[in-house]
Amino acid sequence: MKHLGDDELVELYYGEGTGESSAHLEACRECSAQYARFKRSLDAVDSAEVPQRSADYGDHIWEALQPQLIPYPKKTEGWRHWTHWRAAILLAGCAMLLAAVFLGGRYWERITTKKTTIAVNPQATQRVVLVVLTDHLDRSERLLVALEHAGSKDRTDDAQLQSEARELLAPNQLYRVTANNAGDPELAGALDRLEGVLAEIANDPNLSAADIKRVREDMNTKGILFEIRVLRARSSDQDSGLRAAKGATI
Amino acid sequence: MQGSDHSIVRAVLAGDKEAYGALVRAHSATVFRVAFRIVGNEADAEEIVQEAFLRGYQRLESYQGRSSFGTWIYRIAVNCALNRISQPGIEADYRHGEESDPEQKTVQVAAQDADPERVLLSGEIGLAQGIAMQRLTPTEKSAFVLRHLEDHSTTEIAEVLNIAPNAAKQAVFRAVQKMRRELAPLRGNA
Repeated sequence: MKHLGDDELVELYYGEGTGESSAHLEACRECSAQYARFKRSLDAVDSAEVPQRSADYGDHIWEALQPQLIPYPKKTEGWRHWTHWRAAILLAGCAMLLAAVFLGGRYWERITTKKTTIAVNPQATQRVVLVVLTDHLDRSERLLVALEHAGSKDRTDDAQLQSEARELLAPNQLYRVTANNAGDPELAGALDRLEGVLAEIANDPNLSAADIKRVREDMNTKGILFEIRVLRARSSDQDSGLRAAKGATI
Repeated sequence: MQGSDHSIVRAVLAGDKEAYGALVRAHSATVFRVAFRIVGNEADAEEIVQEAFLRGYQRLESYQGRSSFGTWIYRIAVNCALNRISQPGIEADYRHGEESDPEQKTVQVAAQDADPERVLLSGEIGLAQGIAMQRLTPTEKSAFVLRHLEDHSTTEIAEVLNIAPNAAKQAVFRAVQKMRRELAPLRGNA
């Protein structure tokens, strides 16, 4: 019988465990005892008492804040100030404008002899997406390789690593959401794991060799690097396929 | 409350600056609570409350009313607090003070209760807990505060911190592991 892992105990403790985990907990005495110990240790962690604010705390904040605020420009009169006859004139004006546009369009259609059609090439759009994604994966791969070797040299390298992680974090979120919506779980999963690493590196105030080592170990960055390499190869193959289909030569 | 918050927001955007005061009064205590739990000191938490409401005012046009104003300003406050603890120096000073000044422990402990043994024990646990919290990364700390102390779900934490739900779950998990590891020596006493 497979016992519950720490991650499952955490989920159960915070009420997000699966039905399977709950059933196992009830059936298995060993896991039940471990969960009791786990619960005791977490129950003991409580917040430092939050200092009470007085009833007029909000007033003090508002007094301090108010001089710094610039009022939004006042809106012009609303619809309720319009009288019926003004609304009628406006409607009539709109109707005349529509008629003029319709007649002008018909006239224009008659004098135009050549039809121009702009066809959007879906392959070209897809290729642009692939090129952008490949570039992102490429940069992420370089960052993960640098992460594998970081922490031993001077702090300038670590600062560059952090700055690169910050730059990659926002686009990574966008690509992950897009991959999720497009039904690509492999890509979405890898970007999800990559996002965890990027967030840790980007948000660490004093990125030290020990922090980098911890991220490497806790988050299995080697495994993520492998996934990114596989995905990059897949994107490159798709890109080559699209170019071949288009008949392009380099 | 939510309905009236929305109408106040509309009034502020229509040029009635004073109306924003009602939103500040209604939500400042909640914003203070979460800010204090993340940054761990009163002065910084006070500054975060002001910063959050100022940013909220400046970005009010982007508030689309999908969530309540309270939730929206709460997210801004968490992000302000996260930025604050991500600034180098703030945490480092705290750690230095806690770890290198053993007398400070005695002062904190002695001020609270009459029973010396209980005071010593609870003071020790509280201090160890504070130090353990400061050893979490900013993301882990915010995720842990939102999960353990503010009782938010993983999905809500992910939204507030603008990370993937799985990354939020992992951050909570790592924080829990670290907290348990750091507090393990005291568990026998407790």
